[in-house]
Amino acid sequence: MILTPEILTIYILDVIFAIFSTIAFVYSIKIVIGWDANATTQKQYKLEKQVYLNATIIKFLLYIKIPLFIFFIFTLDKISNILPGAMCGAGVVNATEYGVSLLLLKILNIYIFTYWILLDKYDLKVEEQPYIKLKFFIYIIAYILLITEIIYEIMMFSSIDIKDVVDCCGVIFSVTDNSYISKLLGLPHFFQLSLFYVIYISMFIIAKLRLQYLFSLVNLLFLIVSLISLISFFGTYIYQLPTHHCPFCMLQGDYYYIGYLIYFVLFVGTFYGMAIGFVRYKVSLIFNTIYVALISLYPIIFYIKNGVWL
Amino acid sequence: MIKFNNVTKRYGDLIALDSIDLEFKKGELIVLKGVSGSGKSTILSLIASLLKPTQGEIIVDDKKISKLADHFSSSFRRDNIGFIFQKYNLIKNLSVKDNILLPLVPLNLDTLELENRLEIVLEMFNISHKRDIIVKNLSGGEQQRVAIARANINSPHIILADEPTANLDDKLSKDFISILKDMKSLSKTIVVATHDPLFFDLDFVDKIINIKNGKLVI
Amino acid sequence: MDYSISHILRYKYKNLFTVISLTILTFLLSSLFLISNSIKYELNIVLDQLPDIIIQNQKGGIKTLVDESLVYDILDINGVKDVKSRVWGYYDFKKADVKFLLVGVEEFELDKYDVNNTSILVGIGVRDILKKYYYNDYFNFINSDGNIKKLYIKSNFDTVTKLESNDIIVLNKDTLKNIFGFEDSEATDIAVYVANKSEIPTIAYKLQDKYQNMKIITKEDIKTGYAEIFDYKSGIFLSLFIISLFTFFVIIYDRMSGVSSEQKHEIGVLKAIGWRVQDVLKAKFYEATIISLSSYLIGIILSYIYIYIFQAPLLKNIFLGSSSLLRNVDFSFVLNIDILFIIFFLSVPIYIAATIIPSWKLSTLDADEVMR
Repeated sequence: MILTPEILTIYILDVIFAIFSTIAFVYSIKIVIGWDANATTQKQYKLEKQVYLNATIIKFLLYIKIPLFIFFIFTLDKISNILPGAMCGAGVVNATEYGVSLLLLKILNIYIFTYWILLDKYDLKVEEQPYIKLKFFIYIIAYILLITEIIYEIMMFSSIDIKDVVDCCGVIFSVTDNSYISKLLGLPHFFQLSLFYVIYISMFIIAKLRLQYLFSLVNLLFLIVSLISLISFFGTYIYQLPTHHCPFCMLQGDYYYIGYLIYFVLFVGTFYGMAIGFVRYKVSLIFNTIYVALISLYPIIFYIKNGVWL
Repeated sequence: MIKFNNVTKRYGDLIALDSIDLEFKKGELIVLKGVSGSGKSTILSLIASLLKPTQGEIIVDDKKISKLADHFSSSFRRDNIGFIFQKYNLIKNLSVKDNILLPLVPLNLDTLELENRLEIVLEMFNISHKRDIIVKNLSGGEQQRVAIARANINSPHIILADEPTANLDDKLSKDFISILKDMKSLSKTIVVATHDPLFFDLDFVDKIINIKNGKLVI
Repeated sequence: MDYSISHILRYKYKNLFTVISLTILTFLLSSLFLISNSIKYELNIVLDQLPDIIIQNQKGGIKTLVDESLVYDILDINGVKDVKSRVWGYYDFKKADVKFLLVGVEEFELDKYDVNNTSILVGIGVRDILKKYYYNDYFNFINSDGNIKKLYIKSNFDTVTKLESNDIIVLNKDTLKNIFGFEDSEATDIAVYVANKSEIPTIAYKLQDKYQNMKIITKEDIKTGYAEIFDYKSGIFLSLFIISLFTFFVIIYDRMSGVSSEQKHEIGVLKAIGWRVQDVLKAKFYEATIISLSSYLIGIILSYIYIYIFQAPLLKNIFLGSSSLLRNVDFSFVLNIDILFIIFFLSVPIYIAATIIPSWKLSTLDADEVMR
């Protein structure tokens, strides 16, 4: 059990999140069941009012979640200094069985909540408010995911044992093991890179054709391929070490915290690409381009400086 | 154009309006005549979408406003209606300027735009010189002019006035009537609810409607 | 936003109470964190200068003097870089009700300060105390025989942190032995310096094995000891804080729910002139943010001033009261971003959360109801 002030803060906020999201959950169910836009009953008026409460709570949750997520990453990093063997957040994430799922859940939840807010904004512009039931149905799912996230978070932090030695990222992401991660990372670079750039270019074409669903799908692929190629190829150029495959170390001061920028543009770009109904081609393309340019710079500069590839 | 189709408003067992049918044309000045409690204030509130009818339909400019959700009824009110309340309902501790601009706050307009609009209504209702004075320090007549200015700040085309001369003396009442005339000349649709006889034989009034106990009296 | 600001100002007194309590809360919390952080920082600096291992003699569990000849034996152990016998002790200056820390050093080390066996070197704090009792040029020690030993006072010295120089008197080893009545071969304890830091535990183990009766203390032990004390104290404060946070939450909620009819009327008016529910919510949200954010900033700034400029009068004693090593620490300015974030998360979102439901209740009031 590890309890630093940072973790305590996260716990306290998790409790607040749990309380308020449950309130919104209860009302969401009421809304999904009883909403009737044409009714003029007392009950309907009450529901209308509750819609606002829910929307406010959900916005509150999201606006706090985002800085809290950054804080969370930062906390992982800090804990890595206490955990023997861990040199960056990756070690901490892998210290327990909950780590990876937790991280993915957090990112997924931020995507979902942001999408919800976009949906809400749009819904308010149209008088019939057609998406009310849908909105809250989505929230119900988001709620379940949120509670899962909170539970995982508490489980993870409480099961970290500072006496256990954990693997550092060098081991976790090595390409010589037999785990399926290493098989994925071990795919020939040429293959990974061509896939990466081809998908990237195809996004422009699909954007031109305004094929929304395809664009979403491609963005999702782009996200996956980016993360894999980042770990297995581009990352090594950021660290200038062919064996250093780690998605976390680039968030540290040694590399000028470039990781925060890289992930930020990647997430924003793919989010706007995947938000069905609110897809913003331009924004998505711009951010994705920044991402591609940013990470491509590293190997290129390395080559220019040193004349060889890693 | 305002239309009431078989509108009934009930508060529990109390019937405020009973199967009312109305039709006002654009640009008309209508006086709703009746004693307190007759239901004329209710009619105003219904037009402004501050209340929803228990039965029936209200149509303003071809738009059904009776069933709008709060969000839309508020926008509707903001964009189309200027309400002059009987008690003025100004915020006592704010200045004249702030009170008048209050309806526009959520619109996030830039300062220049706000200034322009402010200037226009201040001039129109003759209170430019009181711009920065706190409302509670104004006289009754001045406060009413602020209320009128506020009702006009968003250039609504429907003006509703509830017992506007109830708290005014003779002179100020006559001032109000002349303001009314000015507003009519801007082709606004105006509905005044009052029992002040001063309104009953004005030449620029288009219709006088009698209301008694929630029913129209022909 | 302007509306929110003017709204806050119009209900000054109520809001002032909130701001003040929130500020106090933030202030306490951040002072807590900053102090414990600064202390850890100072502590590390001090501790790093300590010898790696200290050996003390004890008889029957009670600390006694060691024999200096041990030094040669210890030097033989593999991995030991240097061994020194240390002669030091507390001199009780009864008149001023203080204990001076007397540290004995070799003659040659004192040469550069122009101090010999008839004089002493004092820190600023000591010099001031002695001055108060009119000991300007010399001081009369009373040694173990009951005789007076007159020693001349020499110049003061600086050190890296002001920790050390406030009640230390440095003098010749032999002179000190004379004052305290040590035998020639006796010393207070033995300091061992190890070449390879990671071997400290091994060597400590060897030493304990060799000298079963002696007390072997490593630098780590001292660090841990202090860390435990501070964590314990911080823990208490933190729990108190959480409780007060909860209380605060409840108070805010309660207060905001009891809205005056004047406020309700105002909301009614706003809605009547076209404000939508979310416009009112937005205004309330701005209000909450402004209040909590300002309290947070003020609280933080105040606590920085309190700690680094005024040196934390009350809290300092609570934290350092029982320690002998850090009696007179001066907090030096350390900027810690993660503390700022922690405090932010523990204050601003919580306040805003407390206002969500009351604000909502207010915003969804029927315009018509409140204006009748």
